[in-house]
Amino acid sequence: MPLLDIKNLVTAFHTPAGRVPAVDGVSLAIERGKTLGLVGESGCGKSVTAMSILRLVASPGVIESGEILLAKDGGSVDLTKLPEPDLRKIRGGRIGMIFQEPMTSLNPVFTIGDQIVEAVRLHKPVSREQARTKALEMLALVRLADPELRLDEYPHQLSGGMRQRVMIAMALACDPDLVIADEPTTALDVTIQAQILELLADLRRRLGTAILLITHDLGVVAETCDDVAVMYAGRIVERASAAELFAHPRHPYTIGLLAARPGPGGRHDGPLKTIPGMVPPPQHFPTGCRFHPRCAFARLPHCAEEAPSLRTVAAGHEARCHYADELSESDDLGEQRGAPA
Amino acid sequence: MKHSDSHHSRGFWAEAWRRYCRKPLALTALAFVALLLLVAMFAPAIAGTKPVLCRYKGRLYAPCLAYFDRRLEPAIFAKDKFRGTYPKNLAEKDPESWAIWPLVFQDPYRSVRDDEWPGRPANPARDEGRPSRINLFGTDQAGVDVFAKMVHGTTIALLVGFVSMGIAGTIGIVVGALGGYFGGWIDMLTSRVTEIVMCVPTLVLILAIMALLEKPTIWHTMAIIGATGWTGIARLTRGEFLRLRQSEFVTAARSVGAGPVRIMLRHILPNALAPILVPITFGIASAILTESSLSFLGFGPPPPSASWGSILNDARSNLSMWWLVVFPGIAIFLTVLAYNLIGEGLQEATDPRLREARK
Repeated sequence: MPLLDIKNLVTAFHTPAGRVPAVDGVSLAIERGKTLGLVGESGCGKSVTAMSILRLVASPGVIESGEILLAKDGGSVDLTKLPEPDLRKIRGGRIGMIFQEPMTSLNPVFTIGDQIVEAVRLHKPVSREQARTKALEMLALVRLADPELRLDEYPHQLSGGMRQRVMIAMALACDPDLVIADEPTTALDVTIQAQILELLADLRRRLGTAILLITHDLGVVAETCDDVAVMYAGRIVERASAAELFAHPRHPYTIGLLAARPGPGGRHDGPLKTIPGMVPPPQHFPTGCRFHPRCAFARLPHCAEEAPSLRTVAAGHEARCHYADELSESDDLGEQRGAPA
Repeated sequence: MKHSDSHHSRGFWAEAWRRYCRKPLALTALAFVALLLLVAMFAPAIAGTKPVLCRYKGRLYAPCLAYFDRRLEPAIFAKDKFRGTYPKNLAEKDPESWAIWPLVFQDPYRSVRDDEWPGRPANPARDEGRPSRINLFGTDQAGVDVFAKMVHGTTIALLVGFVSMGIAGTIGIVVGALGGYFGGWIDMLTSRVTEIVMCVPTLVLILAIMALLEKPTIWHTMAIIGATGWTGIARLTRGEFLRLRQSEFVTAARSVGAGPVRIMLRHILPNALAPILVPITFGIASAILTESSLSFLGFGPPPPSASWGSILNDARSNLSMWWLVVFPGIAIFLTVLAYNLIGEGLQEATDPRLREARK
């Protein structure tokens, strides 16, 4: 049984301009100890999906339907229907979250130590000294230099990379089963990014925590994830293991994303390939397949009339495309595809 | 401490204090208020007719505390029929007694009688009561020393400021926080209540309550100033909470399992406090001014209780006695000015936009 099973989640924003379905029927499953990467461009709904799991979606967003089942004591509990006090025990206790912006995710008027101690004491009845010891442990775990000094420092005294490590320490402080990392490295420079990713991978190995990694960076996914789900316009369009996805993409969007990466060594013949058009705003989703206006393989009028469902195209591999079976490695867009470096 | 200088962690308030200290005017104002606080606390030791400490019939007493609360006057002095005249009676009834006297032997509630202090005549009254060596600020119509009145009036002035703003601050922060954090119908309710209370005229309400009650005291005045003065604070608090509840660190706190009360008190309030303290400081000045105005008009605490405004009230019918105007007038002016300067200094010290580059 998966650790977290999201079934047909629909999260919509009820704005004065109308109902905007940011997450429109998303299903995901995360197994214990595995890493699932959720990939997509900005605005596809991946962050909203993550926030929906812990019911942190800002109003006017509302989880309209679907289930989010967290494994518990042999059975499962639906997070969308859990009363708030019980949900608070899960937040930080069984599911931890790392946010995108380390610069603003920490309270400026408290020391680092205070904030980690708070995270610990919210879930475990320990004394301040014990919590402080645990905080020190966590800082050492995330490989923050001079943890004793850092404990009494304020967020503004730390760099972005260090703050992100502190966030990771806070999220892991109570040994959660699942960590949701919402674009944890987007706001950091590349060298720090590499360190943070390596840290996450190391922590996963050592602690056995499952990770839901949300990112728009395929390179990050390739390095760290066991499974991948690609999201577009509020829906999952392809789902497979990482190895399978990069080797045999079966959805035009995924193919386009992979083709749009610069090749190794940075040399190109001709301009970079892009996916024409833009991500459609939720108020104006195209009819039929939401990707069809930008799709190089679209076959009108079928693709414009009928929305494809997510179906199995190979073992453990699903794609939301009518013609997924016909897409193969010999396709034109595949010029620069291939397993990542 | 293991920290080296470069690692010296300075919290937000420590930083603000450093910035505040760089402004001499603000520091002077703070020193003045500190001085007032000392005067208010030690008023009976500065001016009074009761000994600060005395030894009588083998035991130690502190009769001066009676100025704070009549019930604190040691019973033995009533029993032995002292009737408030300590110097002579102490010496007569117990030759071995000794006493430590206040700095200025004058009473804020009554005139000093002939020979009460051995060798000194009674306080002059009326026009003869101009400032002299014995009566530093002169005496009023009835011969009561003005300096003593002002020293004891400091207690009232500061009390009015702190108590009424304490009440106003508490109500304002709670109402504003609830509205700003929860939004929705709670916000609508609190905003409407705030607007209704804003329309209530403070001064008129105090006068009305004074008229209705049999024994109005200064505590009633303070309560009403507090109960009507919280609206500006509430609006400011609401704005700050509205802004801060969308912060990333609030979401991060929720993701770690913090509940709404914890988030409001521990996470948002410390971040919101700086701008809220400013109108509270100005409110203290305003409360002092309101109380002085009421006393000046004759609606202050009834005699014998002395406040600066009531001295001014005396002055109304005795304009030739300039000392009744000048001294309390200057005191009120300086106090209100000091609080305003403190509020301004606080504002500049905590406003991130006005900060100079960090050194």
